[in-house]
Amino acid sequence: MGRNKSPKQRLLALLHGLILLVACLVVIIPLTYLVINSVKLPREFLTVPPTILPSEVTFQHYQELFEDSKTLRHFRNSLTVTLWTTGITIVAGTLAAYGLARMRLSAMILAGVTFVFLFIRFYPRVTTVIPFFLVMREMDLLDTVWAIIIGQLGITIPFVTWLMLVVFQDLPLEIEEAAIVDGANVWQRFWRVVLPIAMPSVAAAAILTAFLSWNEFLIASSVARRKASVLSIAVAGFVSDKGIQWGPMAAMSVVMIVPMIVFALFAQKYLIHGITFGAVKG
Amino acid sequence: MNSPPSTKSKKANSGWHRRHDLPWLVIFVIPAFIIVVAVQFYPLAYSAFLSVQDWVLTESQVPKGFVGLDNFAKELSDHIFWRAVRNSIWITGGALILEMFLGVCLAYLTMGSSWRMRAIRTLLILPMVIAPVAAGTLWRILLNSRAGLVNHVLDMIGIKGPEWLATADGAIVSVIMLDTWQWTPFVLLVVGAAIASIPADLLEVAAIDGASRWKTFLHIELPLLMPLLLLTLVFRMLESLLSLDSIYSLTFGGPGYSTYTLTYYIYTLGLRSFNFGAAAASSWIFMLFASFSIGLVFWFQRKDW
Repeated sequence: MGRNKSPKQRLLALLHGLILLVACLVVIIPLTYLVINSVKLPREFLTVPPTILPSEVTFQHYQELFEDSKTLRHFRNSLTVTLWTTGITIVAGTLAAYGLARMRLSAMILAGVTFVFLFIRFYPRVTTVIPFFLVMREMDLLDTVWAIIIGQLGITIPFVTWLMLVVFQDLPLEIEEAAIVDGANVWQRFWRVVLPIAMPSVAAAAILTAFLSWNEFLIASSVARRKASVLSIAVAGFVSDKGIQWGPMAAMSVVMIVPMIVFALFAQKYLIHGITFGAVKG
Repeated sequence: MNSPPSTKSKKANSGWHRRHDLPWLVIFVIPAFIIVVAVQFYPLAYSAFLSVQDWVLTESQVPKGFVGLDNFAKELSDHIFWRAVRNSIWITGGALILEMFLGVCLAYLTMGSSWRMRAIRTLLILPMVIAPVAAGTLWRILLNSRAGLVNHVLDMIGIKGPEWLATADGAIVSVIMLDTWQWTPFVLLVVGAAIASIPADLLEVAAIDGASRWKTFLHIELPLLMPLLLLTLVFRMLESLLSLDSIYSLTFGGPGYSTYTLTYYIYTLGLRSFNFGAAAASSWIFMLFASFSIGLVFWFQRKDW
């Protein structure tokens, strides 16, 4: 500390700053370059050396994308899936977590339940994609947003139940005692006493669920290819098609990324809470 | 749950409530339970059934019959399956080493609660919130061998950049880079939170005792962080092994089979070749390994270190 730093300390501070600068650039430059590519003229795409500052900014790729009714549909489908998945997950997951937390299950059973949650989170999901596809075909739900929503719920509900279970277990039963004396039933205690206290965690869980749902690809791509297709499928689609259309691909990626980045900047605290919490607590 | 009620009457009261509450609590759990059984356990059982059936959808609309362990035997002698296993090991291994090393370093370098450090941390975690498919297309643009930014930068410092996505080794390295770019922030976040929770006086005592910064790290902080580091490692390993989206949009498994990972291989086997029996069998082979790793996570989380 202090003003009189030794040369060695100064050198270290400089190095420290330099490393952080490089790290930040490694994040910023790719993102910026993607945005630049989305407003480049087609002829400036495959130039050598690459066109870093385009001679002219064009919105033709965005215009093309949104003139195509498919893009709007993808966007709407992504939004529908995300909203329904998040809503249903929060209601079902929070309720289930409270139920499990207050059932006074034995330690053995709780450990078993935790293992099930962990297993669902990490088993190779590609195992169940085909059976799920067949079930959806049987139920005539293929290529509907509901197939995607139901599939995602299978992942997000256990995840949120697990997060909230830990939260509710940490809440002492005493906070409910006054309400018990007043004769409140479980539902009233949950709704009026416990939920308001747990709200920050519920918010974190909701935000994390929304991210998972918006970015999800595996389930969506296995049950919905056309009418119910979502943004993640559309973005991936640019690669498998004959030849790559660089401009629209960049523009579509920007359309998919930007809402999440804005969302992340605003809800950062909750998001970080959700991510680290899921990893550390068990 | 943890604190004994103080008076007898209270105990009786809560005992009455316990019985009275139970039906409600069960009702609370039912919707989640139904969805998990219907969307996870039923398909899992279904997939176990498929793994012993001969069924290629393009040949027949219904399973053609029980074939015992034939699917498993075929998969285990299929060289593409083993190639996918090797690719998975390379990609996940490479990404894990880089992510753990860089993540821990960055966690230390961004310690503190000054606005500058907070801003830097906010910036550094952005790759994590991007959809993996979009991150894949983004890197596809960056890694274009002629007109990509990466080779341009390499060019400026006098290095001839490789054909990233057109050669087998280049493509593997590309996938590792993408995974590292996107998920180092996760390690940074988790480890950063853990470092912040190490009691400051512990480190002060060490400093007073004349221990160097490096020694303090090695003998005090590292042992404290070890359980979490192991947990993070297995966590990242599983997620990296299971990821499909980023490879799909970065390399599409190519060139050839060069970046077919196990997950990607099973996905194409099932949903492009529609060979349901083979896909189910290979996914259960994969499952064995994954289950072992999940057990490890479970053990790490409960173990009293």
